[in-house]
Amino acid sequence: MAVVDAGPALVEHAETPTARTRGRVGSLGLVLPAAVVALIALACFVGPLVLPVPPPIGGSVLESYLPAFSPGHLLGTDPNGNDILSRILSGGRSSLIVAVAVNLLGLLVGGTLGALSGFVGGVADTVIMRVLDVLIAFPSLVLTLAVAQSLGPSQTNTILALAFFSIPAFARISRAATLRLRELPFMASAVLCGTPGWRILLRHVAPNIAPQLITFGMLGMGIVIVIEGALSFLGLGIPPPAPSWGNMISQGQQSISATPMLVVWPSAVLFVTVLAFNLLGENLRARWSGR
Amino acid sequence: MTASVGAGRHRAGAGFLTSPGMRLVGKRLLLAVPIVLGVSILTFWVLNLIPGSAAQQLLGPEATPEQVRALELELGLDRPAVLRYLDWLGGAVTGDLGQSLVSRQPVTDLLGERLAVSGELAALAFLISLGLAVPTALLAAYRPNRLFDRLSMVVSITGLSVANYVLALLLVLIFAVQMAVFPAIGFVPLSQGPGANLQSMALPAVAIAFPLYCFYTRFLRGDLVDQLQGEDYVTTARAKGIGPWQVLVRHAFRNSAFGLITVVGLNLGTLIGGTVIVEQIFALPGMGQLMLQAINTRDFVVVQACVVVFAVAAVLANLLADLLYAVLDPRIRYGSR
Repeated sequence: MAVVDAGPALVEHAETPTARTRGRVGSLGLVLPAAVVALIALACFVGPLVLPVPPPIGGSVLESYLPAFSPGHLLGTDPNGNDILSRILSGGRSSLIVAVAVNLLGLLVGGTLGALSGFVGGVADTVIMRVLDVLIAFPSLVLTLAVAQSLGPSQTNTILALAFFSIPAFARISRAATLRLRELPFMASAVLCGTPGWRILLRHVAPNIAPQLITFGMLGMGIVIVIEGALSFLGLGIPPPAPSWGNMISQGQQSISATPMLVVWPSAVLFVTVLAFNLLGENLRARWSGR
Repeated sequence: MTASVGAGRHRAGAGFLTSPGMRLVGKRLLLAVPIVLGVSILTFWVLNLIPGSAAQQLLGPEATPEQVRALELELGLDRPAVLRYLDWLGGAVTGDLGQSLVSRQPVTDLLGERLAVSGELAALAFLISLGLAVPTALLAAYRPNRLFDRLSMVVSITGLSVANYVLALLLVLIFAVQMAVFPAIGFVPLSQGPGANLQSMALPAVAIAFPLYCFYTRFLRGDLVDQLQGEDYVTTARAKGIGPWQVLVRHAFRNSAFGLITVVGLNLGTLIGGTVIVEQIFALPGMGQLMLQAINTRDFVVVQACVVVFAVAAVLANLLADLLYAVLDPRIRYGSR
């Protein structure tokens, strides 16, 4: 917490990975959510190509509101006669693309900024952190709304707007991790050996802060999927008729008392995906922090 | 991790205002000014990027360019952005947030009622989440890895994975559609009786509170277990023959409270901004709804005010956490970082 000061070098060193000491439960906790994530990704990206599902848009109104297990429509159809399963799969594809892109951008840009800030210190550090503080205090919804209104809602614009907010988060974590590293003997010896700064960052800092950043990235996947859903829910993310979990839920809300399943299906898939990513992140963190 | 602090208490009294704790708060307050200023500049700039002005929106698509131009002149939208920002800032410092471009009402009047609704929602959610999280975490940490602990961990990781709009719709489905005990949408002001008011606020408050409850429970339980396992003062307390509950509540919880306060402070700031979607689902006339409407009508004066209110709330919540921290912990290190 905020009151750490005394002898961080030794304490931190004692907390280095102890992956081998973990039992079978630990690995099951990793394998299971990873398998769920892989299954969902496979279903969303490969599913529509190999499974006999109709296209996600352009259904016939004559087939609207079919119940689940109707012939040809496993989960039934929505008010426009589109197949729900097919829409969930292709909606999931856009959710996953957005989430991966946003987290990669955040990890690369934010991670670099944070490591630089923590490593260089001084005025540069103060300036970078203050700018990021402003971004964190700025309500993300306003910017995404503004981007959606000015550039038009689209997948790329959603990615850009959300990346804007994942960067400060990654930067903070990367900076804190770098600051802890700076105290360790091997960093001092690298400096004493006359290793150039960029090389220290690349060869010594980057591999050491990577686990923390990747762990946060897993949790970030869940967060971005939820926020992307929220934007689409408000009509500012993936524009209809293209499906996304968020806009499917939003569409289903209008007839929630008559056809609750329209809300339940996409919500359930959204929940399972986010849960799997959260468990993955939590278990990775537990493993890497040796708790 | 948290340093062991013992069960000490700050002696309130002489010199508190000049104490290092208050200096810390003063420093944070000074640091907060550029943040709020930065947020307001950023908002102004971003809003200027959006095509289409309030004048265009007010007159409708059939208006001629001359009409739009005339109204823009009247509203002062033709002046350079920098000047408009400085004007706005000058007003804002004296508590005048300008006039809505659409309804021509003073923005402070518009904000007043909305802020009360959002504030009530956030306060309820905060009370529910923290009020339940503390006992749950204490019970779970009393016997770690036993049934109750495991159950509460499953509940919290589940709750953390539910998007609040999904939870809100689920609550509507169960309690408004199926059981019809709560209204699905709408807001009853406090003036029409506290019972009806609470009934209209119950579902939205729970939708916001549940993920927070899960988060606080997880955090506090983890910190408590760490304290109980690794800290010397716990061993000392146990050696003195103090009962397990006493050790947990009087000693471990006092220390874990610091971490919790920080987290709650960080959360509380985002809480008031995070009510937007839930307000939308339940049709509550709060800040979020006001902001969404204002964005759609290009009423940027109102959007600007909303954003600044959100930013100030976030900064104040953090500051309050720092203040509490300084009051509770007599041995805070006052250095930077």
